[in-house]
Amino acid sequence: MTDATKVAAAASSRDPAVGLAAVASLRVLLESLEELQVTNARAQGWSWQQIAEVLRVSRQAVHKKYRRFGF
Amino acid sequence: MFERFSHEARTLVVFAQEKARDRAAKSIRSEHLLAAMVSGRPDPAAVVLKSLGVDGAVVDAEIDRLRPDGSPPPDAEALATLGIDLDEVRRQVEEAFGPGALERTRAARGRAPRGHIPFDRGAKKVLELALREALRLKHNFIGTEHILLGMLHSETGAAQQILASRGVGLDATRVIVDELVRGRQAG
Repeated sequence: MTDATKVAAAASSRDPAVGLAAVASLRVLLESLEELQVTNARAQGWSWQQIAEVLRVSRQAVHKKYRRFGF
Repeated sequence: MFERFSHEARTLVVFAQEKARDRAAKSIRSEHLLAAMVSGRPDPAAVVLKSLGVDGAVVDAEIDRLRPDGSPPPDAEALATLGIDLDEVRRQVEEAFGPGALERTRAARGRAPRGHIPFDRGAKKVLELALREALRLKHNFIGTEHILLGMLHSETGAAQQILASRGVGLDATRVIVDELVRGRQAG
């Protein structure tokens, strides 16, 4: 994307279709990054408690979300 | 038909369902059966595929490339409106976790369906053809090797295409399967 189209896109972000699509994409990206980091932390021997503290969520929340991954 | 399935063939079907679930697929398709065959259990189909040079990493990569399932990938243009460069994020992630890491996450693939996942038409056809292949070779059971032959027929789905691209065809594989079964019966 060129700088000009970037600016044009940003300027139109009062358009809900653009703003909401950006948030939706950000959410998919966020979930993928969290999963990679949690997987990596578990592989390096981190406890659920340690992961939860750095993620700033409860231990139960992170465990419930990722326990089905089998680690 | 399932009552004639060998123990390994039944296990394969269970694993294929897990492969479909992992990929958030709404039905079990031929490529999920193939992925289950090359996932590390030493059943007869796995032995045949190994002798033909088809391994699990290749099959998984091919299925990822076809990417018919899961949630839509993040939209680079939408993220650019927030000042986020998706290509750069991907580059950083791959540097730490390897090629394709971002796309391989379950989050990127979408939510896994719960409960029973049905076979699609192609996969059903694979299982019917497996029965026919067993009868044709005069084997009195349906094993994973016959399911492999079933999926080498055209119009059964992506597994046939993936295998054809690796040079695996029906006639040559039939010969290998027949030799394998004879060898087992003799030995």
